[in-house]
Amino acid sequence: MRKIGRIALFVFLILVLLGTLFPLIWMFYSSLFSHTISLASLADIFKQKLTLKNYAEVFSQIPFGKFLFNSVFVAVVVTLGNLFFCSLVGYAFARKRFPCKKSLFVSVVLVLMIPVHILIIPLFILIKFFGWYDTYLALIAPWLVSPLGIFLMRQYIEVLPKDLEEAARIDGAGEFKILFRVVLPLCKPALAVVAIQVFLANWNSFLFPFILTSSENMRTVPVALALFQGYQTIDWPRLFAASGLATLPVLILFLFFQRQIVAGLTTGALKQ
Amino acid sequence: MRKIFSPTLLFLSPWLMTLILFWLFPLIYSLYLSFTDYTVLNPYPNFIGVQNYLNLFSDPDFLTALKNTSLFVAGTIPFTTIIALFLALIVNQKIPLKDFFRAGFFLPSITSMVVIALIFTNLYSKDGYLTFLCHLLGIPTPEKGFLFSTSTALPSIMLMDVWVSFGYYLILYLAALQAIPQELYEAAEISGASFWQKFRYITLPYLRPMTLLIVLLNTIRSFQIFIEIFVMTKGGPLNSTLTVVYSVYENGLVRFQMGYASAMAYVLFFIIMIFSLLQMKVFGLGKGVEE
Repeated sequence: MRKIGRIALFVFLILVLLGTLFPLIWMFYSSLFSHTISLASLADIFKQKLTLKNYAEVFSQIPFGKFLFNSVFVAVVVTLGNLFFCSLVGYAFARKRFPCKKSLFVSVVLVLMIPVHILIIPLFILIKFFGWYDTYLALIAPWLVSPLGIFLMRQYIEVLPKDLEEAARIDGAGEFKILFRVVLPLCKPALAVVAIQVFLANWNSFLFPFILTSSENMRTVPVALALFQGYQTIDWPRLFAASGLATLPVLILFLFFQRQIVAGLTTGALKQ
Repeated sequence: MRKIFSPTLLFLSPWLMTLILFWLFPLIYSLYLSFTDYTVLNPYPNFIGVQNYLNLFSDPDFLTALKNTSLFVAGTIPFTTIIALFLALIVNQKIPLKDFFRAGFFLPSITSMVVIALIFTNLYSKDGYLTFLCHLLGIPTPEKGFLFSTSTALPSIMLMDVWVSFGYYLILYLAALQAIPQELYEAAEISGASFWQKFRYITLPYLRPMTLLIVLLNTIRSFQIFIEIFVMTKGGPLNSTLTVVYSVYENGLVRFQMGYASAMAYVLFFIIMIFSLLQMKVFGLGKGVEE
């Protein structure tokens, strides 16, 4: 009886999982169709000739290579920036004494809670004022130091034993040397969580890349995808090929770093 | 005083600069704008007091946006929470391929929202798969597709939201389930407690704080729905999917009524802050700050 129950549960989970993944499977599958289809019968779905031509057309018909470059460039620079800056700030919060330390750390946690929609208008005006509108600076500068990154680094460094740092300090090592040679090599798990979290957030980011750029040349992949659809007919297989390419890096990161992704996302919520 | 200019200040400077330049200044500047009639046509704004805020509450578009946003929050969160809890309880059993299921449920919540919204635009269209499925099952569908009818557009986007987000809350529930001391279950088994008794008197009480956290987090997130609206409906048809953040975007960056849009953004900001403060009050600022 117990065993039958287990099997039923298992089958149920498989069905729910299929339902959950169906839209993504549908995207990849119908990106192989030669043209937009309108479904008349179930058989239509399986009768289609499958082709990779949409993936080639994505690069030849639209400047998708440029969009990909923009997305990769912005996400990589922002990720590297966060690794560097959040290490500095997180280390200071974990190890140093300075005036207003507590309120400054509260500012990190509070910013983590600010709903970003409040920035739409003022950030747009500020970026225009700086002359950064429609440049890479607009896409990169505001996000180089993420409060979540600071939070994660600080929590991790705080519980590391201090012996090694003190030994290095006695040997006459400077603060930077201690941080980069002694502390950070021990922080690889935390750095991995920060890197993946920041990379994914920037790779998928839409709102600010959309409002802070205007030319086609500056579009990141999500912005390009959202503006891809005309009002009349949409070439769905081609749009899905582009969407599939946008999803691929996420899938790859997901396969290899699932644990870090879960850690990053739950820290964001649980803050511990 | 020499100490202030030690490497510590240098270490902190990235955060100080980001905090002042990209958070504090925009927050204050936009609060100021919300009390002015700033538009692109009128770059020398006049201070008009709370006029923008008064206008908001007689603006039928804003009231519609507020209503839609509230409907969205109230109509998705019970479903998302119950589905996440139910599946977390099942996945937490000793079943084969546990990690595989967990990963699969979770995948949509890290996929780009633009991509998800595009897929569902296709599925909901009049030639789309979901419309086709409804035909097969004999369920009537709107003539132009689900997203082009005032009665089905918002519920369709809400359904998508439940689909895309439950996996994330499932992960949070799993974390809470794994934190329940196993001894409690063992002790209950020894005294002959049934499956339901264990669920009712051990599992549920232990999950109560997490449920509250999940509802708060989801409320805060749902109040800010924008991408799906932009990609799928642009607030239409007839404002039936207009949300507050979409309205801020449209008033501020399409019509360039920046003072008015700032007031709108601030009203939503205060609504969300109520929930955030509640979260802070119940769950603390995070362990680090309390000590």
